[in-house]
Amino acid sequence: MTAKQRTGRVLIAVFAATMLVATACTPGGPAASGAPSATVAASASEKPQQGGRVIEGWATDLATIQPVLSNDTTSARAWGLIYDGIVAQDAKSGEAKPKMATYTISSDGLTYSFEMNAKANWSDGKPVIAQDWLTGLQGVAKSAKTVRKSTFQDVQGFNEYCAPAGTGKCTATASSITGVTIDSANPKKWSVKMTKVSCPAILDLIGYTIPTQVFGKYLTATSKAEDFDNAPENTNPTVSSGPFKFKEWRKGDQAIFSRNETYWQGAPNVDEYVMKVVANTAAITNGLKTGELTFGSIIARDLADMQTVDTVKITKYQNLGYTFIGWNTASPTAVGLADKRVRQALAYGIDMDAVIKAVVFGEATKQVAHHVPVQWAYPSTPLEPYKYDKAKAQQLLKDAGWTLGSDGILANAAGKKFSLTISTNSGNQERETLAQVAADQYKQLGIDAKARPEAFQGLVTKLTTGDQTLEATIIGWSLGGDPDPYSIWHSSNIPDPAKKIEGFGFTAFKDPAMDKAIEQGRNPTDGNCSTAARKANYETFNKILNENQPYNFGYSNNTLAVSQKSLQNFAPASFSTLANVHEWWIKK
Amino acid sequence: MRNFILRRLVYAIPTLIGISIITFVIVRMAPGDPIRLVTFGQRDITGEDIARLRHVYGLDKPLPLQYVDWLLAMVQLNFGQSFIYHQDAFQLLLTRVPATLQLAVTALALQLLIGVPLGVIAALKRGSWADGAIRVFGVAGHALPAFWLGLMLIILFAVTLRWLPSQGVLTVGKDVWDIPDRLRHILLPAFVLSLTGIANYSRILRTETLDVLGQDFVRTAHAKGLSERTVVFVHALRNALIPVVTALGGILAALVGGALVVEQVFSWPGVGQFTFQAAIAKDYPIVQAATMFVSVLLVISYLLRDIAYAVVDPRIKTG
Repeated sequence: MTAKQRTGRVLIAVFAATMLVATACTPGGPAASGAPSATVAASASEKPQQGGRVIEGWATDLATIQPVLSNDTTSARAWGLIYDGIVAQDAKSGEAKPKMATYTISSDGLTYSFEMNAKANWSDGKPVIAQDWLTGLQGVAKSAKTVRKSTFQDVQGFNEYCAPAGTGKCTATASSITGVTIDSANPKKWSVKMTKVSCPAILDLIGYTIPTQVFGKYLTATSKAEDFDNAPENTNPTVSSGPFKFKEWRKGDQAIFSRNETYWQGAPNVDEYVMKVVANTAAITNGLKTGELTFGSIIARDLADMQTVDTVKITKYQNLGYTFIGWNTASPTAVGLADKRVRQALAYGIDMDAVIKAVVFGEATKQVAHHVPVQWAYPSTPLEPYKYDKAKAQQLLKDAGWTLGSDGILANAAGKKFSLTISTNSGNQERETLAQVAADQYKQLGIDAKARPEAFQGLVTKLTTGDQTLEATIIGWSLGGDPDPYSIWHSSNIPDPAKKIEGFGFTAFKDPAMDKAIEQGRNPTDGNCSTAARKANYETFNKILNENQPYNFGYSNNTLAVSQKSLQNFAPASFSTLANVHEWWIKK
Repeated sequence: MRNFILRRLVYAIPTLIGISIITFVIVRMAPGDPIRLVTFGQRDITGEDIARLRHVYGLDKPLPLQYVDWLLAMVQLNFGQSFIYHQDAFQLLLTRVPATLQLAVTALALQLLIGVPLGVIAALKRGSWADGAIRVFGVAGHALPAFWLGLMLIILFAVTLRWLPSQGVLTVGKDVWDIPDRLRHILLPAFVLSLTGIANYSRILRTETLDVLGQDFVRTAHAKGLSERTVVFVHALRNALIPVVTALGGILAALVGGALVVEQVFSWPGVGQFTFQAAIAKDYPIVQAATMFVSVLLVISYLLRDIAYAVVDPRIKTG
């Protein structure tokens, strides 16, 4: 070997070693200079310190700060900081409770009376009044771009007021919303009359309380939809009723909110709240480790790594949603899915507990019904848990007429082989793994199963339009707000390509008793919207689903909220992260 | 020369129209529907709501009509309203341009400041350990995927050593004109983005310098008794740099267009990251605006390169 050759090999070795060192550097080792120092938790009696900045990591930029136009969680966080709601969900139970307004409901369940808190004020000194709530409703009615019009269709006079005429139920024939009456003697009091009893209404009627002194000029009798939709204050709000005021939005990088000194519940302890936009969940994890972020949510894969970082605190709580395998019960190709026994066999035939360990590192709860355990609508009576039982699954398949052929594949009496394609959105590593594991386990039952990742964008269209090429689909639901399952499970929402009906009922499963339970939980004929009465209906609803298994209900993930230990009073829960944001403080 | 430039400008028009058609068709051929994507999972959303939104954004018109509408508006720099942001797509894009330009210009500077000296050193020290090291670096520069290298550098310099920030353009709370803080942020992404260029330039310079050093005029310069430094830097390097200068023609546009991966890894709020996220959301106006923007940049830079060729090489007919 010549000297030159030796030199070259040494250089290559050095380069390779450098890369190995870089790869093997396990994050979470001793913090070097510049790292946030580990602090002990403050005691409950400790006086909150003023000042500092909360920096939350988000993997997407906010789209708007106008609640009427918003339909993504990042934007909802932003406008939630500056516009308070009249009613809020309890952070842990999800039940409605007064926030900026108190409310009563008439005995017939049709009239809601509200009174805005006397202290509630805008940051420009004006009081928050009933008209501000009405301005939000008028914004929804006039906007061409909102996706919320249907939410208010049961408010008396809304359909006659909303525009443009001919879209949905809007007729644009009235100059006011007749169902909303503001007390002439007290501008903080108003009532809303509904056309029918609607149990989710109290959360829907939170609506959007936005400043009339700002948005009123875009909602006059002669205003056009684009006046409101393109208002500069939609991206640059000038007044606030929430704990923070808008300061600056550096698009794609960060949105900065400063303390609202006149916040009606008391000014926040921290000076600023910053929503920092990062590329993905890996960047959030890195930002939390380096201290660049104060808090954010991480994925289960990063949990073990994060647990080695001594400067952060990890809070786990159940996510308001679940990941499932939806069976197309009307599939012309996977005909077995029409049979309840087959779907039950598919529930017994997959070891979901093992899947949860393998796919999300144990950070999830197995689901056997639509509602998740933290929701009040979750059934109290025990449901069939579908514990992994391969023998039972095989027996159910046999009972349904599927027998193993010489090739090891199940076939029915007509000789049709049981093949099954499980689709999911590509790029979602968790779901792709679940699809693969499910396919492998179903093969052991004699089903010719395979996983097929495809673009989420295309999958959504196929699902909502009822594309019959889909046999089984892994996707997830997010269940915020009211537990009303109408949009997903009522038979009127089963898509029908022939009639060009779209909807989220892509399993095509329907059951008259289930429809009735959903209807009674949403619009009860006796007007009883009490939690107990609705829960009874949802017991029936979940029992039917549990028995019929149109979904393998999969699992509900844990949310893994990570915060720097210096952040005090941080108490996120399933229904709210920011319920007490004005009480957060930074321990210096 | 004027006719040459005019002719080139006229050629650019069908090129851009062709790009606009391809962009328009590809964006719409991709599976999925933007309105269904926006409304998926929304409680109580109805078919009428979806139809209304399709009408608002002109998506209910036949495709050829949609294209003509878009083309006519585009001539007036109106690329339509973003489905996601409810704002003018081109204005939104422009807010991302400065960040990408910062990254691209810094990467270009690094390519020249590192690539050119490395190429010259490799040529002058041909066969030495330094030459070997530069050649290994050149191979690595081409071979290492940007996303992997970026992540490794973040783990090493940001997470483990805490020398540099892991993401973004500026530390939260710092003044926007805090140049040292900006430099700390741009160092890693600019280096990753420049790596292929450094490898390219060092290779080109090495070859060109070796070639020039063997030519008669260099021997003449030596014979005249000029110092080695003068021969190399005044006579040889000036000639060796010609291919580099011409290669610069499309490099800036290529960097702007090619920064997508680096911007994504380093959470850099530039055009690439913005377009990537818009493509996922099927936000047609933004994807189309971004594609046309980068295309126009490329066409202009190639035009400038052709003009530069015409200026330096009399064999190219300009009349």
